[in-house]
Amino acid sequence: MDYGHHLEFGAFVNPDSADPAGVVDLARRAEELGLDLVTVQDHPYQPALLETWTLLSWIAGSTDRIRIAPNVLNMAIRPPAVLARAAASLDLLSGGRLELGLGAGHFWDAIAAMGTPRLSPGESVDALTEAIELLRAVWAGDASSPLEVPGAFHALDGAQGGPAPAHTIPLWIGALKPRMQRLIGAKADGWWPSLGRLAPGDLAAGNAVIDTAATEAGRDPREIRRLLNITGSFGPTAQGELSGPPSAWVEQLLPYVLDDGVGTFVYAASGGADLERFATEVAPALREAVAAERHARSTPVGAVVPLAVRAKRREGIDYDTVPAALAATAVEPGHAGFAGVRNTYLRGGSPGLVLRPGDADEVAQALAFARSQPVPLAVRSAGHGISGRSTNDGGIVIDLSRLNGIEVLDVDTRRVRIEPGARWGEVAQALHPHGWALSSGDFGGVGVGGLATAGGIGWLGRKHGLTIDHLRAVEIVLADGALVRADAEHHPDLFWAVRGAGANLGIVTAFEFEVDEVGDVGFAQLVFDAGNVATFLENWGALQEAAPRDLTSFLIIGRPRGGQVVATVMATVDSDDPDTVISRLQPFATLGPLLQQAVQILPYPAIVATPDGGQHGQGEPATRSALVEHLTPEFAAAAAKLIHSGVSYFFQIRSVGGAVADVPPEETAYAHRSANFSVTAFGAGRTRLDAVWDTQIQPHANGLYLSFETDPRPERIADAFPPATLARLREIKARVDPENVFRDNFNVAPAEPGITAVAG
Amino acid sequence: MPDYGHDLTFGTFITPTNAAPATVVDLAKATEAAGLDLATFQDHPYQAGFLDTWTLLSYVAAQTERVSLSANVINLPLRPPAMLARAAASLDLLSGGRFELGLGAGAFWDAIGAMGGPRRTPGESITALSEGIDIIRGLWDTSTRERLVVDGEFYRVDGAKRGPAPAHDIQIWLGAYKPRMLRLIGRKADGWLPSLGYVKDLNDLTTSNATIDEAALAAGRTPGDVRRLLNIGGTFSAQRGDALLSGPPEQWAEQLADLTLEYGFSTYILSGDDARSMMILGQEVAPAVRELVRAERGADRTDPTSAVGR
Ligand SMILES: Cc1cc2nc3c(=O)[nH]c(=O)nc-3n(C[C@H](O)[C@H](O)[C@H](O)COP(=O)(O)OP(=O)(O)OC[C@H]3O[C@@H](n4cnc5c(N)ncnc54)[C@H](O)[C@@H]3O)c2cc1C
Repeated sequence: MDYGHHLEFGAFVNPDSADPAGVVDLARRAEELGLDLVTVQDHPYQPALLETWTLLSWIAGSTDRIRIAPNVLNMAIRPPAVLARAAASLDLLSGGRLELGLGAGHFWDAIAAMGTPRLSPGESVDALTEAIELLRAVWAGDASSPLEVPGAFHALDGAQGGPAPAHTIPLWIGALKPRMQRLIGAKADGWWPSLGRLAPGDLAAGNAVIDTAATEAGRDPREIRRLLNITGSFGPTAQGELSGPPSAWVEQLLPYVLDDGVGTFVYAASGGADLERFATEVAPALREAVAAERHARSTPVGAVVPLAVRAKRREGIDYDTVPAALAATAVEPGHAGFAGVRNTYLRGGSPGLVLRPGDADEVAQALAFARSQPVPLAVRSAGHGISGRSTNDGGIVIDLSRLNGIEVLDVDTRRVRIEPGARWGEVAQALHPHGWALSSGDFGGVGVGGLATAGGIGWLGRKHGLTIDHLRAVEIVLADGALVRADAEHHPDLFWAVRGAGANLGIVTAFEFEVDEVGDVGFAQLVFDAGNVATFLENWGALQEAAPRDLTSFLIIGRPRGGQVVATVMATVDSDDPDTVISRLQPFATLGPLLQQAVQILPYPAIVATPDGGQHGQGEPATRSALVEHLTPEFAAAAAKLIHSGVSYFFQIRSVGGAVADVPPEETAYAHRSANFSVTAFGAGRTRLDAVWDTQIQPHANGLYLSFETDPRPERIADAFPPATLARLREIKARVDPENVFRDNFNVAPAEPGITAVAG
Repeated sequence: MPDYGHDLTFGTFITPTNAAPATVVDLAKATEAAGLDLATFQDHPYQAGFLDTWTLLSYVAAQTERVSLSANVINLPLRPPAMLARAAASLDLLSGGRFELGLGAGAFWDAIGAMGGPRRTPGESITALSEGIDIIRGLWDTSTRERLVVDGEFYRVDGAKRGPAPAHDIQIWLGAYKPRMLRLIGRKADGWLPSLGYVKDLNDLTTSNATIDEAALAAGRTPGDVRRLLNIGGTFSAQRGDALLSGPPEQWAEQLADLTLEYGFSTYILSGDDARSMMILGQEVAPAVRELVRAERGADRTDPTSAVGR
C-alpha cells in the first residue's frame, strides 16, 4: 500500500568520535547535495561514537536548510522531560529543522552499565509510550499552567509546560516487533526500521499491524510516515540488492514505495561520493518514477490532517478552505505552536484558527477568508492590546507578527517604513545606529500596529509628540480587501482617521514615519514616600507642567501597604549632557522623602528594551483611563481617595502636553490635545474599580486615551472621541467598513445612511 | 596567598531566553567579537522560558571559532553524569577543545522534582556531586582500558566503557558558597565559580579561599590547582563612584585588579546581556586589568609558590 507521502531522502551519518570533523563534513555535504534529512544513530554507552544530541545540535549550527534527526534516540537512557525542552530548543534554534526518531532501548547490558535501570522489553515499550505522552504534553503546555502527567516510568508533577517548538515535531519510532508497531499505529507519526534487519514480508506485516492500530484509534494510516534505513553501494553492474548502477537502485527501491509505502529513504553511505550518487542520481529518478506510477494509479498524495489536529478543530470554521498561501503557516489548536499564539499579554484566549500572513496580499486573503466564516475576528500585531481584544474564543485571529520589517527609506528626511508586527524595542534598536528614535511608549514589547493606530504616549512625548504625529503614510487593507495607501494627499480622510482610530478602519500593513534625531538620554527612577498623596500629586503635576519639554515623566503608585504610599517617578530627559539631566531632575528631589534613586545616561533602546518570554495572559484586564488638563487640588484629592481605596494595584499618570499640544485637535482622530496628563488605573475587578473611578475620577476627565481603557459601556466611545471627531469617524467608517468588520477595539458604529459627512 | 597567579580571562553570562533564540546566539557571537575568552549560560532545565543549555552550548559552539563555552552551571540532578561525561567530551572534540564544565549540585528541588528528577538534601546533593565528578573524570580517562565502576550512593556505573577522551583537559568548575562544597572544590575541582551578587561581604571571599586552599593541600594538591572565577554584574557610566563595578572602565579595571590581587580571582564573567558592555569589557577593561596585574605581579614576586601565567 502506497500512503502517498511526499518522497524524502536522507543521510545516515556515522558519529565516529575519532573523526569529528569528518562527521560534520559529511552532514554539510548532505545539505549541499540537496538531501532532506541528516540523521545520526544514538548509542550513548558506546565511546567510539560522539554523543548524538551534542552532535545534532552542532550540525544544526553548521547548516542552514537540511532537517536533522536522531536515528533513533535511546529513550531508555534519556529522561524525557529534559529531552522535551531540549528538542523544542533545538527546533527553535534551527528554525524548525528538528525531527525526532525514538527507540525504546535495546542493548540492556550496556544501558545498565551506564547506571540506567534495566527494563524488560514490555516495560520498555510502556516507558516509551509514557515518554511520548510526556514530550507532547510539555510542547503543548505553557509556563503558567503546571503539568501533571502520571506515569510508572516517567511522570511530571507540577513542571512548567513549554516551550513550544517552532513546528510540530514528528515522532518516528524505530521498531521491529508488533507491540511497538501497535504503539506507532496508535500514537506516533512514523515507523523507522532498518532494511538490514527485516526479512522479506516484514514491511508488509508491520504496516498491517500499524494500519490496524491506527484505524482502531480513529486515525488515518496515512498520518504515519514510513521511513527506511538502507545501505548499499554503487558500481557499473547490478550485483544483488542495492549494489550496482543508480538505475538498478531505482528499480529496486520503487516497489518499497509503491507496495510498502516507504516515504523516506535514509542512506548510510560509506562516503561523500556514494552519497552524491544517491542524492543526484537515485533520488530524482526515483521521484520521477514514483510520480509516474502514482499518476497512473491515481494514488492520493500529500499530507493528511492528523486526527489529533482534527479533534481540536472548532465549529464554524471551514478549515479545508483556508487559502493555500496561508495554510502552511496557520496555527490550529492541535498544532505544536498553539500555546505560543493563543494568549495575548493581558488576556487568555482560545481561538479556533490563527492566520499568519506574510505580506499585504496574504493579509487581504486572510481577511476575505475570515469574513466568510461565521466566527469572531481579531487583528493582532504584537498582542499587547489593553482595549484591543486581539484574541478570542473559537474565532479567527489575523496575526501580523511575520510582517515585521523595519526599513530606512530615506536618510536625509529620516523616513522609515515599519511593518505592524515589529515591536517598539526592535524599532528602537534599528534606529539607534542612525542616531534616531521614534517616541512610542515605555515598553519594548508593545507592537507597532496597535500603538501607531491609536496614539503613542511615550518617554519622549513632550519633546517629540505622539507616535502618530510622526506618521506620514500608511498602507492599509480595507474590509473589502483593497490595499490602499493613505497620506496627506491620498485618502486624506482615511489618513486622518487612522491616526487615533485605525483599528476601526482596516488592517494597516505598513507605516511610514519621519523619525527624530535622538542621542543618549537621561533616565531616572526616583522612589518617594508619598505620605500625603494629594499634595504629592499636585506638586509633581505642577513641576512637570513647568518643566522644559525635554523632560517627560511618568508617575506610578501601587496599592498602599500598611498605610505607606510609595510613588515612583520615572523621568526621561532628552539630553546626553549630565549637567542638563541633573538640573532637570533637581526640582523633583524636593517632592518628598526619597527612598531610592537611580539616574543614568542610556541609549534610547535601553529604556524600551524588548522583554523576554511568551505571552501568558489570563482572564480579562480591568482598566480605566482619563485625560486631564491639570492636576488640580480637586483632582489630586479624588485620586488620593482612589489610591487609598485599594481598588487599583497600579495607578499611573503620564505627562503628555508639550509637543502633543502643538497639533490642532481636528488634525487627527486623537483629539484631546490640550490634556497635560493621561491617568490610568488597573484594578483586580471591574465592578469595584468602576465604582470608585466613576465617582472620583470621571468628573475631572476631559476625554480618555482608548489604548488604556477597557470599560465596555458605550459612553466611553464619546469620551474617546469628541462629537465632531466621532461624527467624522462614523461617516468614514460607513464608507470603508459599512458591515463593521473591524470592531474588536473601541468600536465606532458606522454612520446611518443619510447622515451627511463632516467636511474635511 | 590571595593571588594564585593564574592568567586572566574574561567572559559573559548570557540569559538563554527562548523567546528570541537568535538574540541569545548573537550575544555569544558578540562575546567572541569583543575579544572575550568565554561565553557561559545558566542551566535551569525546569525553566520553560529558557533554551536547553546543552543544546544551546553545542549550537553556539558550531557558530563560533575561538571563544570557550561553559554552562554556569550545569544542573547535575537533571543531567545524569555518565551521559554528561560523553556529551562533554563530544562537545570538546567537536569544538577543538573549547568546552569547560561548570557544575552545580542543584538547588530548586521542587522544580527538579516536578521534572521527574530527584529531591536531595543539601548534604546529599554534595555527595551526589562528588560521585558525579568521579564518574565524569573516570569516563574521560582513557589511559586505562579497565571498565569504569563507581558504586556511589546516588550514582552508579557498573562496567561502562571509558571514553571518548576530550580534546583537552576539561576544567570542572563548581558554583559554591558553603564550606562543604568549598572543601569538595579543594579536593576535586579545577575552579570555584561564585557570583559576586551573592557575596555579602568581601571578607567572606577570603574565608572561602582559605577553606578551599586547606582542602586542596590536605588532598595533596596546591591551591593554585583551583582557579577562582567570579560572576559579576555592573554598569558602565562616566562618573566614578564608591560602588563596585559602577563607573568608567578604568575604575572597573582597578576594582577587578584588586579582586585578583587581594582575593585571587582570575576569571570575570559579566552578566547583563548587553553587547555594548561586553565590548567595553573586552576592549577596555580586560587589557587594563591585565596590565595592572602584570605590573603588580612583576613588582612583587615574593611568593615563590605563585606561578604567574600558564
Ligand atoms: C505593557 C504595556 C505597555 C504599554 N505602554 C504603552 C505606552 O507607553 N504608550 C502607549 O501609547 N500605549 C502603551 N500601551 C498600550 C498599547 O499601545 C496598546 O495596547 C496597543 O494596542 C498594543 O499594540 P499591539 O500591536 O502590541 O497590540 P495587539 O494586541 O496586537 O493589538 C491591539 C489592537 O490594535 C488593533 N490593531 C493591531 N494591529 C493593527 C493593525 N496593523 N492595523 C489596525 N489595527 C490594529 C486591533 O484592534 C487590536 O485588537 C501599553 C500596553 C501594554 C500592555
